[in-house]
Amino acid sequence: MKKLIFIAAVTALSNSIATAQTPVNAIKSGKVANIPLREVNNAVWSDIQAITIPVFPQNITTPMLTTPSVKNIKVKSINDGTTIAFLLEWTDSTKDMIVDADKFCDQVAIQLPLHPDTLPIFMMGNKNGRVHIIHWKAIWQNDIENGFRNVKDAYPNYWADMYPMAEKEGDGTKGKFARDISAVDYSKGTGKNFMPASYAGNPMSIFDRKEPSEECMAESYGTLTTQTNQNATAWGVWENNTWKVIFTRPMVSPDKEDAPVTIPTKIAFAIWNGHFENISGKKHYSQWIDLTTQK
Amino acid sequence: MAQVKNWQLKKEMKYPYEESRPNKQIAFVFDTNKCIACQTCTVACKTTWTSGPGEETMFFNNVETKPYGGYPLKWDVNTLKMMGEQSWDKTSGEYKGKTIFDDTKGENVNGWRPAERDYAFPNMGEDECSSIVNKGAFFNGIHDTWMFYLARICNHCTYPACLAACPRKAIYKRPEDGIVLIDESRCRGYKECVKACPYKKTFFNMVTRVSEKCIGCYPLIEQGEQPRCVQTCIGKIRMQGFLSKPGEEKADNPIDQIVHIKKIALPLYSQFGTEPNVYYIPPIHVPTDFLHQMFGPGVDKAVEAYKNLKDDKDLLAAFLLFGNSPKTIHHYKREGDFTVGYNEKGEVITKVPMTEPVYVRPYDDKDHGTFRHNTP
Repeated sequence: MKKLIFIAAVTALSNSIATAQTPVNAIKSGKVANIPLREVNNAVWSDIQAITIPVFPQNITTPMLTTPSVKNIKVKSINDGTTIAFLLEWTDSTKDMIVDADKFCDQVAIQLPLHPDTLPIFMMGNKNGRVHIIHWKAIWQNDIENGFRNVKDAYPNYWADMYPMAEKEGDGTKGKFARDISAVDYSKGTGKNFMPASYAGNPMSIFDRKEPSEECMAESYGTLTTQTNQNATAWGVWENNTWKVIFTRPMVSPDKEDAPVTIPTKIAFAIWNGHFENISGKKHYSQWIDLTTQK
Repeated sequence: MAQVKNWQLKKEMKYPYEESRPNKQIAFVFDTNKCIACQTCTVACKTTWTSGPGEETMFFNNVETKPYGGYPLKWDVNTLKMMGEQSWDKTSGEYKGKTIFDDTKGENVNGWRPAERDYAFPNMGEDECSSIVNKGAFFNGIHDTWMFYLARICNHCTYPACLAACPRKAIYKRPEDGIVLIDESRCRGYKECVKACPYKKTFFNMVTRVSEKCIGCYPLIEQGEQPRCVQTCIGKIRMQGFLSKPGEEKADNPIDQIVHIKKIALPLYSQFGTEPNVYYIPPIHVPTDFLHQMFGPGVDKAVEAYKNLKDDKDLLAAFLLFGNSPKTIHHYKREGDFTVGYNEKGEVITKVPMTEPVYVRPYDDKDHGTFRHNTP
C-alpha cells in the first residue's frame, strides 16, 4: 500500500514538474549515412537540431542532491538504420576524471523504458517497469585514454615490497615488486584473493576496460544491475568548459534487456558533477522526453 | 525513519530500518589497561586481509594513542564536533543529545568523508602524552599527563551506519552472528558508507573501486574460532564472544558477565547511536572527563569495579579466560581453583588457574651442590 501511495506521489510530482516547465520538444533521431562513434565534433552533428532539456536535483529519495550545479543538457540524436547515437552536451567548468577516497568523477546516463506503452517511473523505473540504462563515467574514459589508474599513478613515490601471491609464474607478475605489477597481471593469478571485488566478479573492478560505458537495467532505485551483454559504446570529450559525450547502441538489439527504439518511446537523462561530489542518488535528472527515429 | 530501541542510550532513536537483532551478536571486550600497542593485531589482520593493491593504507584493525592519535586523522573529533552537545541524564543515564541519524539533511546518516591524506598517517600521535610532564610532578591516582592505547576494529554495530547509508543495500548484517559485511559483488563504490561510518571502518579501494571493511574473520567464526586480531594478541587484552540481547543476559556467558551484568566494559562513543559491539575496559588512570566523553556515564563505576576486580571472583574468572584459547568461549564456570571455558556444545576448551602457582627456588641448590645467583 505504501508503495502505491509512493508511486502515486512520484507520478503527481512528475506531472507537476512537467507542467511547471516550458514544454520540451521531442527528440527526433535524424537519418544519416554513417555514425561517428568517437567524433563529438564531426560535421554530421551540425545538421541536427539540439534539444535543450532541463535537469533537476534528485530530491525524491535519500541520498539527495542538495546543491545542484547543472541546469540543462543539450541532446542530439542520429541513426543510420542499424545504429542509433546520442550526443549529449552540458556545461561543466571542471574536468573530473579521477576516482579516489575523496575524488569523484563526472558521469552521464541515458535511460529508456523496456515497455514504452506502460511507461515506468522516470526515476530508474519501478517493480515490473524495467528501464535500460547506458552509463558513461569520466574515470572509464580516463582508463581507456590514459590506461588504468593504478596506485603508482596516483602516488608515484609509494613503496610496497611485494604483494602476496604475486610470485607465481604465468600470471605475468614474475615476482616483480608491487609498484611494477599491473592490476590486470595481479588479478590473473592467486593474487586475486587480495582483490575481493575483482574476485567476486564486480563490474566496477575491470582493469582492461574496452568502452567507457556500461549497460545496465533497473526496476527502481537501488536495483541497478549490469547487463550480461554489453553492446553499447560511448566516448566523451571535455573542451571549452563543456562535456560532449556520444552514446551508441544497435537500433534493433538481439538482447532482450535492451529497450526498443524503432517505435516511438521516451528517454531520460542523468548527470553527475564530480567536482561537487555527485555520486549515487546525488544527481541531476530529467523527466521522460519523447523520442522518435527517422527511418 | 523507524524508531528503534538502543539499550546503550537507554532510549528509542531514529534509524532507517526497523529493529532486527540477529540470532547471535558477535561482540568483543578490549582491556585498554593491558594494551601495549605492539600492533601484532594490526599486522595479523593486514597480512590476512588487506595486503593487495589499493589496500596499502587500509587497516581493518589499528591501534592508536589517545588523546592525539587517530586513524584516519581526527576520525572521532570530526564526528563529535558535528553532533553538537552530547549530554546524559545524570540520574537515569539516558542520552539527551542527537545521534548521527538525526538531522541528516537529505541523507540517511549525518557523516563526513575523510580525504586520501587522512589515511596516510596511521601512527600519528603515537606515544604522545596529553601534555609535558612538569618538573616535580608525581603520581596521585590520576595522572596529570597521560596517554593510552586504543585498539580499534569494526564494531559490527546493531544499527550500522554503513548499512543505513548504502543506497544499493549492498551492506548486510548476518542474522546468524551479527557480522556486518559489504557484498563485494554488489558494491558500486559510492563511498556513502565511508562517509556514514562514525568509526571510519569502511574503506574505499582505489584499485577495485569499491569499498571494503572488516569481515569479523567470519571464516574463523564459522569454525568456532576467535578472529585473527584476538588470537594473536600477545597482551591477552581481547576476548571475542557473543552478547545476549538486552534483558536476556546469562551469567555463565563471559561477555554477558563483563558487559551486561558487571557493566565493566563500555561501548566506544555510544552517543553516535549505532549500538557498537566492541566493549572497552576504560583506562583507569586517565581523567574521567575525557573518559565520560568516550565511554559514557558508566565510566566511573567501571573504573571502580576494575580496581576491585580481585574481590569479584566470578568477574575475575571471566577475565582470566582472555587470550587462553583460540576457540570462542560461549560459557564459563568457576570450578575450585580453576576457571573453565566451554564451547557452544558444552565441551571444555580451556582451563585456567585462578591464581598462578608460585615456586620459590632456594638460594642453596642442594641437588646440584651450588648457589643460585640472581643474574641472567
